[in-house]
Amino acid sequence: MKVVGARIPRYDGTAHVTGRTTYVDDVRVPGTLWTKALRSPHHHAAITKLDTSKAEAMEGVHAVITWKDVPLLEYGHLAALGIPADEPLLAKDEVRYLGQPIALVAAENEDLAAEAVSRIEVGFEERPALFDVRQAFDAEAPEIHHEGNWYKHFEEEMDRRQIRKGDIKWAFDNADTIVQGVYRPAAIEHAPIETQVCQVVPEANGRLTIYSCTQALYFSMGVVAAHLQVPLNKLKVVGGTTGGGFGGKVDTATETMCSLLAMKSGRPVKWRWTREEEFLCSSTRAPWHMEIADAVTKDGWILGRKMLTLHDSGAYSRFSPYGLTKHSFHHTGAYTIPNLEFDGYVVYTNRTPTTAMRGFGVTSVSFAVETHMSRIADVLGLDPIEIRLKNANRIGDTSPNGIVYTDPSTVLTIQTMAETTGHELPADYRTMTSEPRSGDLLPEHLVAQLGNPEEH
Amino acid sequence: MNLTVNGVTHEIDSSPLTPLLDVLREELGITGAKAGCHQGGCGACTVLIDGEPRRSCLMPVGYADGGEIMTVEGLGTLDDLSPIQQAFIHHYAAQCGFCTSGMLLAGQAYIDHGGTDDEEAIQNALAGHVCRCTGYSKIIDAVAATARGDSFDLTETAVGKHTTMATGGAE
Amino acid sequence: MDAATEVYMPGSEEEAIAAFGDGTDIVVVGGGTIVVPEMSYRRLQPAKALMLGRAGMAGIRREGSRVTIGATTRVAELADLPSPLGPCASNVADIEIRAQATVGGNICAGSGNEAPRGDLQGAFLALGATVRSAGAEGVAEESLEDFLPKRRKRLLLDISFDEPAAGAFAGLDRPHTHDYTALAVSGARSADGTIRLAATGAGGSGTRLPSAEAAAADFEAGGQAALGDVTPHDDAIASAWYRTKVLPVLVRRVLTELKESA
Repeated sequence: MKVVGARIPRYDGTAHVTGRTTYVDDVRVPGTLWTKALRSPHHHAAITKLDTSKAEAMEGVHAVITWKDVPLLEYGHLAALGIPADEPLLAKDEVRYLGQPIALVAAENEDLAAEAVSRIEVGFEERPALFDVRQAFDAEAPEIHHEGNWYKHFEEEMDRRQIRKGDIKWAFDNADTIVQGVYRPAAIEHAPIETQVCQVVPEANGRLTIYSCTQALYFSMGVVAAHLQVPLNKLKVVGGTTGGGFGGKVDTATETMCSLLAMKSGRPVKWRWTREEEFLCSSTRAPWHMEIADAVTKDGWILGRKMLTLHDSGAYSRFSPYGLTKHSFHHTGAYTIPNLEFDGYVVYTNRTPTTAMRGFGVTSVSFAVETHMSRIADVLGLDPIEIRLKNANRIGDTSPNGIVYTDPSTVLTIQTMAETTGHELPADYRTMTSEPRSGDLLPEHLVAQLGNPEEH
Repeated sequence: MNLTVNGVTHEIDSSPLTPLLDVLREELGITGAKAGCHQGGCGACTVLIDGEPRRSCLMPVGYADGGEIMTVEGLGTLDDLSPIQQAFIHHYAAQCGFCTSGMLLAGQAYIDHGGTDDEEAIQNALAGHVCRCTGYSKIIDAVAATARGDSFDLTETAVGKHTTMATGGAE
Repeated sequence: MDAATEVYMPGSEEEAIAAFGDGTDIVVVGGGTIVVPEMSYRRLQPAKALMLGRAGMAGIRREGSRVTIGATTRVAELADLPSPLGPCASNVADIEIRAQATVGGNICAGSGNEAPRGDLQGAFLALGATVRSAGAEGVAEESLEDFLPKRRKRLLLDISFDEPAAGAFAGLDRPHTHDYTALAVSGARSADGTIRLAATGAGGSGTRLPSAEAAAADFEAGGQAALGDVTPHDDAIASAWYRTKVLPVLVRRVLTELKESA
């Protein structure tokens, strides 16, 4: 092997340290117009009036766009995964989150663009807003989303991700104790040092050159093409340099709007978000609400798990159903729990729409699962490492959705962690392996969940 | 008003109140210093003025009149990288690279003022600089290495070397 | 940046005072660390701006035990002064900001929405400082306490104080507050034993703690009494609740340090 284990300099290292890396905001195209957005000042409101004529009439303003300028206003970025479109590129009849873009202006300079935005006449009728996912299901909750307050398009139009395995009633009837916990990780802002930014150049041959900070160039190209209703070969997307993304630059948040402004004005257009816009208006990692109730024996077996997850999608779906799906498959963590009752909902609130961030869907459930394991150990008065080793995934165990483990590394990882941190383990725990369960490690209640790794 | 940047003097049209960062990037087209926040909160805009690290997004250009400004482009070139630039390459101190310009210049000023490889002192010198990618330790390693005068073979690779869990890596 | 702003860059204190006039419609720019971002974000679009950087108003002067600090002295220049001023100034932001920010800009800062501003107000209040300022009705000298309510309408020229017999500073810094000081207490003891205490981050601007001063003989009681002198608020970096929990601790630390340096 020439590369694995070798010390290779970063291909972009020299460019980074000499200031030669060209980020989108470093691209210089003569005649570029500055963009500013009119954003919703309300969490939830009907738009009763939208008049851009005064902005358009300003000298130095070359284009103003609203929902009317968008050939396909709603496009589901993950339509290929079955998530239907629900979010307008620019707000039409209503706004559902503070900061939602309503109109954009391209002008000769930043001052003019900002002034033009202030001259757009917009009227609102505020509506009650919903921020707490736990209230979304109440009869008297404000209605956020035109399809109701939670996503309803999982397979066969299920309104939740549901996993049922084994016999949960048996587990709870046979437990020595039930251990409960509620876990609520908060939203996290990606906060890349480079804010969202885009530069679009309308070429003489009718194509658009789009300098994008996207993390997913071909994906964003498809999104832009879909909104604009143009073939892919009309777009030339120049990407590959992102000043930090972490999942927050997959939303294609600027490219389509800049393209529309470039097409309408016939001029190159740039839109660079301020740090305030980045914090207030860009998508975040989702907040989650997770409730776990485990049926456990006094010697530390987890017979069954009931779990309810409410995933805060913010005002629109974006990638949330996908995140929740991954979450559901991992809701037992690295541990084998044979009887399961999992329900997860993608819930809408009037918060900024949430999006991908570093393992989204799974990081939340890992946090909950690991904390809960320690909680169980605490309640039972058992060693928190031993209880993990006992329940750890082994070859032949199955995951919540029935995948057979062929090479789980849980046992070795936990043993190494114990050794490295000086946590003394009894001999029988020190010598555990990932080999298929047998003897004391295969109590009756774990037999039914076994699968055949050969068949995997 | 005149501005000398990386040894070249330019006549400036912008109002003296315009942030130096915007004059560099927009009027002069020198884009090494980055616009991370325009609030002085991130350090991506830091440049050296008479050898001192300053936030260019906070400095009205009128105050920079008469000073010698160095941006990252003035630290070294592709063919002649400065020691700190080499250190950053060798130690993988840049990932997305957006904070790198500010880190390099603040680090360079620290070393020029006699800074050593003391980790806490380096952290204080770089306290105003935010990095979202690296977790800082490699940046600190690179500055420390530069302070010590380490030399680097930037063409180094270890062909055919395998990593094991015990050694933790090729190093 | 509003290209229409009229910019004044006086070369002397006299010129600065003349340009400032009665302070109407004119924004004072010290180092720019607070004002320039406000302009970049268009929250401030002044008709006139007074850039003080070349007005020769910087410097630390001593006459006996009286110290006078010019308005445009950099915050960094105070780092070696004795407590409370030295540690207070050293705790402001980071080395780059300290080298750009001015004493006058810090003292005259408006109260911040997202984080407290004007860290130096606390130290100077504890020192019983006097401010010389210009504006409507001419040049005046008054206590910092009397100056603070008008700080947004006056041009601070310099600030003076008598060196204390002892000083102390305790600041609350949390990793997430990103170099903003969430809460701080400064204290000073004069030669006759009088103790002055002040806090920043527990109200709109620096606040004297007279109840804590009155109870200062008992450090715990003094700490608790301080809560009666402040109205802490929630902001982006700390809650009012948290501030009420920590304030007595900081007061106690300052009182302890003042006693120990007797």
